[in-house]
Amino acid sequence: MTGETAALGARYSHASGLDPAVTERSVTAQIANIALHPTIRRRWCLSMMGAGLLTFVLMVSIGWLFVAGIGIWHLQIPVTWGLAISNYVWWIGMGHAGTLISALLLIMNKGWRNSLNRFAEAMTVFAVLNASIYPILHLGRPSFFYYLIPYPGTLGVWPQFRSPLMWDVFAVGSYLIVSILFWYIGLVPDLAVLRDRAHGRFAQVAYGLLSLGWRGAARHWIRWRIAYWTVAGLAVPLVVSVHSGVSMLFAVGLEPGWHSTLLPPFFVFGAVFEGFAVVTLIALSLRRAFGLQDLVTARHMELLARLVLATGLATIYGYLFEAFGAWYSGQPYERALAVYRLLGPYSWAYWATLACNALSLQLLWSARLRRNLWVLGAVAALVTVGMWCERFMIVIPSLAHDFLPSSWRSYAPSVWEWMTFAGTIGLFLLLFLLFVRFLPVISMFEVKEILHAEREPRAVA
Amino acid sequence: MPGSRVSREFDAPFTPSANYGRREAVKLMSASLMLMGLGGCGRGESDEHAVPYVDMPEGAVPGVPRAYATAVPLSGYAQPVVGTTIDGRPIRLDGNATHPASNGGIDALTQAAVLQLYDPDRSQAILNLGRESSDAQFQAALHDAMRGHAGPTGRGLRLLTGATTSPTLARQWALLRDRFPEARWHLHEPAVPLLDTAVAQAAFGTPAELIHHLDRAHAVVCIEADPLGPGPSQVYCAAAWAALRRQLRTGRSSPTLVVAERTPSLTGAQAEHRLVASSADVPALLHDLARRLGLGGAAQTASLSPAATAWADAAFRVLSDAGPSGLLMVGPQLPADLQAVGLAINAQIGSLGHTVVAAEPIDLRPRADGNLEKLVEAALGGEVGLLVMLDCNPVYSGPADLPVPDALSRIPFRVHAGLHADETAAQSHWHLPLAHPLESWSDGRAVDGSAVVIQPLIRPLHGGRTMHEVIALLTEETGAPRDLVRTTWMERLSNDEARWRQVLQDGCVPGTAAPTIAFQMAKLQALPASFAGAPAVRTEAGFTALFRPDSTLWDGRFANVTWLQELPKPLTTLTWDNIIAIAPATAKRLGLARGQIIRLEGENRTLEGPIWPLAGQCADVLTLFFGYGRTRGGAVGSDIGYSAFALQPRGGQWERQGIRLSALDRQASLAPMQLSDRTEDSDILRTVTPERPEVENRAAKASFYSDWSYPHDAWAMVIDSDLCIGCRACMTACQAENNIPVVGKEMVALGRIMHWLRVDRYYEGGDDNPVTHFQPVPCMHCEKAPCEVGCPVNATVHDPDGLNAMIYNRCVGTRTCSSYCPYKVRRFNYFTYTVDRESPLAAQYNPNVTVRERGVMEKCTYCVQRITAARIASEKAGRPIADGEVVTACQAACPTQAIIFGNLKDADSAVSRAKRDERNYTLLADLDTRPRTTYLARIRSSKPPQS
Repeated sequence: MTGETAALGARYSHASGLDPAVTERSVTAQIANIALHPTIRRRWCLSMMGAGLLTFVLMVSIGWLFVAGIGIWHLQIPVTWGLAISNYVWWIGMGHAGTLISALLLIMNKGWRNSLNRFAEAMTVFAVLNASIYPILHLGRPSFFYYLIPYPGTLGVWPQFRSPLMWDVFAVGSYLIVSILFWYIGLVPDLAVLRDRAHGRFAQVAYGLLSLGWRGAARHWIRWRIAYWTVAGLAVPLVVSVHSGVSMLFAVGLEPGWHSTLLPPFFVFGAVFEGFAVVTLIALSLRRAFGLQDLVTARHMELLARLVLATGLATIYGYLFEAFGAWYSGQPYERALAVYRLLGPYSWAYWATLACNALSLQLLWSARLRRNLWVLGAVAALVTVGMWCERFMIVIPSLAHDFLPSSWRSYAPSVWEWMTFAGTIGLFLLLFLLFVRFLPVISMFEVKEILHAEREPRAVA
Repeated sequence: MPGSRVSREFDAPFTPSANYGRREAVKLMSASLMLMGLGGCGRGESDEHAVPYVDMPEGAVPGVPRAYATAVPLSGYAQPVVGTTIDGRPIRLDGNATHPASNGGIDALTQAAVLQLYDPDRSQAILNLGRESSDAQFQAALHDAMRGHAGPTGRGLRLLTGATTSPTLARQWALLRDRFPEARWHLHEPAVPLLDTAVAQAAFGTPAELIHHLDRAHAVVCIEADPLGPGPSQVYCAAAWAALRRQLRTGRSSPTLVVAERTPSLTGAQAEHRLVASSADVPALLHDLARRLGLGGAAQTASLSPAATAWADAAFRVLSDAGPSGLLMVGPQLPADLQAVGLAINAQIGSLGHTVVAAEPIDLRPRADGNLEKLVEAALGGEVGLLVMLDCNPVYSGPADLPVPDALSRIPFRVHAGLHADETAAQSHWHLPLAHPLESWSDGRAVDGSAVVIQPLIRPLHGGRTMHEVIALLTEETGAPRDLVRTTWMERLSNDEARWRQVLQDGCVPGTAAPTIAFQMAKLQALPASFAGAPAVRTEAGFTALFRPDSTLWDGRFANVTWLQELPKPLTTLTWDNIIAIAPATAKRLGLARGQIIRLEGENRTLEGPIWPLAGQCADVLTLFFGYGRTRGGAVGSDIGYSAFALQPRGGQWERQGIRLSALDRQASLAPMQLSDRTEDSDILRTVTPERPEVENRAAKASFYSDWSYPHDAWAMVIDSDLCIGCRACMTACQAENNIPVVGKEMVALGRIMHWLRVDRYYEGGDDNPVTHFQPVPCMHCEKAPCEVGCPVNATVHDPDGLNAMIYNRCVGTRTCSSYCPYKVRRFNYFTYTVDRESPLAAQYNPNVTVRERGVMEKCTYCVQRITAARIASEKAGRPIADGEVVTACQAACPTQAIIFGNLKDADSAVSRAKRDERNYTLLADLDTRPRTTYLARIRSSKPPQS
């Protein structure tokens, strides 16, 4: 294995992971042209139509939800939280890999992240946007969502700060703000490049406005760097705190399967695991669609595969200890729930989780399989599905099968819930397609920076 | 002149119809617009002078409730109630504790009368052949018919009523008989059987009714009898049963309840020793008991199964030990010969006259000229020229073997008076809207015979005559509705106005309990012999179908009452449907799943309905329930379930043998409240023995949050599991008090039933004969409430008295509180479930309780509005709130007084004493939520339950 790694290392640069053929000029040309002179207009338009249709489905299902009421979802007593909450957890979890790649690896000076961070961050922003819709849709009285926001109203009533939902509002809110900021700050120098290279007047003005008058002056770069690293510093703790906060939504409740100190790290690992899987899928698609094999190289894919494997193993540890904890607690309700998850009406979710996340992941131990992009893509897709099943498995069975047997009742999502879910996928795709069409999908200046540092070490020093 | 306010203004019946032309529609619209203010001109209260029950404020103070004592008849028997009205609208009924037959409790069926009053589908106009007509036209037609069809001696005149105990009706009937000596009165009562007339004649030489005094018994043996089950005597018997159970706590010897039955009942659920009897067992057990107790003439019994023998041993032992304090109750649905044996046994052990009393009939059936069967025979024979059907629905509730529609069609003039234009109205020439009991002056007698004068709580909403006014049309008696009743009573009250007022105020006529009948021992001892020739229960191949009134819809008269449709049936927890009960083992053998449609066939009659494996059911017995399968039961009550009458034999017998069962390839969607029947080894139900009544309780753990302090009061509730009989009266009472919406079958099936208080039912032991437990679960009002931690917007908070309060207008509907609630007592308004503002049903709403909108969580408040009312009263008087001053709605309704509520700060309060009881335990104590609501463990004898 060391030999194989060495082989990759020999082909691609160790620090940046870039292909030796890449030059600073070729990076700019290739990336800027994707936005300015798209070559796959037809395919893009077709994809846009599909995504647009799904987004329309989202709009319809949200519209009807607001008109007809939350009852169009098949929620009930005891299962008051259903697909919406498990989707919320899934979407917000997805974002974590983006932040980890951009902020944590930036601070850790991992240069190879420069090929991945832009689209990973875009994924984060869009996923968190999708996630942040759900808590509002999920309200019985969505028009009063602002009660969740601490504001000095005349009634003098404040939110209830002990509630994990409250923490979620802060967590998701700050996450959304920080990831948009981080993404946008990172975009500014590249937007200036697009402004300079754009031919159309509209594009010039639009990119010009967005690039905030960036001229590449040294003073700009100093300011920029301070801002970028500061926001990165803010984003890093969010990688851990946001999903810990989300897990508190469950851990603070007494329901069996929820009430556990294991949940915060378990949720964070699961989130990053899921996020890396989605980043892998996006990287594979972009490489293929835009011929970016020189920039997102086999070495990058290898690194992503390893990250998926590592975070996946941590998640599997969570599964083991969840089961062990239920047994070791000696509590009949915890044990009964563990059995219910395994054998009850939602056992499909449990076994699908294990099959997708634990079983398929083992393929990545083998370097040969790992480097087969088809295998890697299949595993990443399975993990994305598996993590969805896991979120479902965490949220619903605990409510459906808690303490008093008289209340036990299983839940099946209504067509509106599925439509909303499909719609959020559509919105994600729509935003992502707009992103690849109009913005640089890979951070041009950061790739050039690492290229420069690699090839002319003295210049940087 | 009767008629609604609008029709009086316009001298024409007013019922909206789809057949208006353009001009009429515009006229009507403008008239409606002009008359919009008219509603404010009259007061809803009765015209006549009704006497307030407790206090009569000077002048009417808007919003101040008034209480009137009255009664609501159920299958004829008056259920004494106190009706609360606010601004002239009746909003709630409570039991009338002043009445000797009531301890203040109320059953669900009686409570629901207040909703039935506002039923939007109640008939509102006189109909002639289904078309609106006027009162004048009806009176003219009746006048002609009386001359033409009834004849001068009333030869062709027949009256058909439901069961009744009304002295006024009896007086009016006597009047009618004086005018028309050949007129005949028939009574049709599908749900409540009486002591067989032949048996009573043989035993006492006169018709008689049996009154059971459970509270005097030391041992109760029931064979197919269900004194605790739904029906007119439920509250009476349950109160007596509770008195009996309470003796357990004073160290007295434990009263034993031994039950043998083919289909499970609420009484069976309370039994110490329950036998699942087969159809052959029932007569055999009775005769076996008779023989062992030394009665001659008892038929030789077939050999009993070991289980039946063990049961017979136990029954014999407890009865012979108890002697006169024993009580044998034989199901009134059983054939006459078995009734006779039962009566003889009670006489033999000396309990007749003590625990069971023969009384002069309260029900007027024995005084009538016959039942529906006789009427049908007469009609088919062309003897009936004019039939008046009063508050009964024989077309629906007549047995299928009786050709009721055919018989009716031979009668040239048919008048139906009822609350609804029902199946019978459709087969009548004329239909008259009848005033609801809560709108009527009438009278009746309770199950102990004590009479009640029924006074109206409100003027008839849709016009409509009272029952007595309808009879008065025939007798040509004149006078206001009140005077028809007053005439009856002033005779008996020696024309004393003050006594009349007192009778109205108290809601009972003193000294009217049914007189007991003397008996001769020899006659009774010979009873079994005199009935020995009667055909014993035949045993035919195939299934035996038992017919029982439905526990919520009764005989179908409550089909359009949504509270009762959605009230889970005690044993199945089913809502909105009736089922065919089958033994689980039989269902398994035949491969039938719950809800599968089966076809029953017997002697050319067929019936299709969904099957329900019911634990504790006899293997070859199917139980069918009345009340469903209505075709004209109103918007809510029509076209649901099957009609059990379709299989009932000719004479209205309570069982039919030789039923063939075939499974159909269809599945009914059923909506039970509860899906899991077992407690799964958890300790949520605690049972103790009389010898060792302590339960183990865990000490509270340390908490992250500091304890609350309560400067004033600390409200708490204790529910005595030993007294709960699972009748679910508390659920309906809560619904009435707290404006709890009804959501419909689809919503219940989805899991969105809204009851704040539910009664869970669990089984312990095998499905063949399990022990049945009931557990009422209101909000626990936890000291360490998980919901309070979960709510992000402070919409559910701890109040200064320790109540866990809901602030509806702060709630945004995150439902976190419900997710976190380990007891799952919270209910969420997934849709707008409140009734339409324009619906008459909205008038029932309690104005002191907020109506909740869509998207808001709600739950039990411990009736905080009553606490507040008591606090205001106490602060005005400058005194603390006395123990017992705050009574929650569920507590007030409970016929066994199993719910204790009060202030924990008062160490001597009933609830504080109950909390110190050694049986006190906490539900899910290991979660350390520290609930304010706790339970007292059920007491069961230490001998293992029979399996």
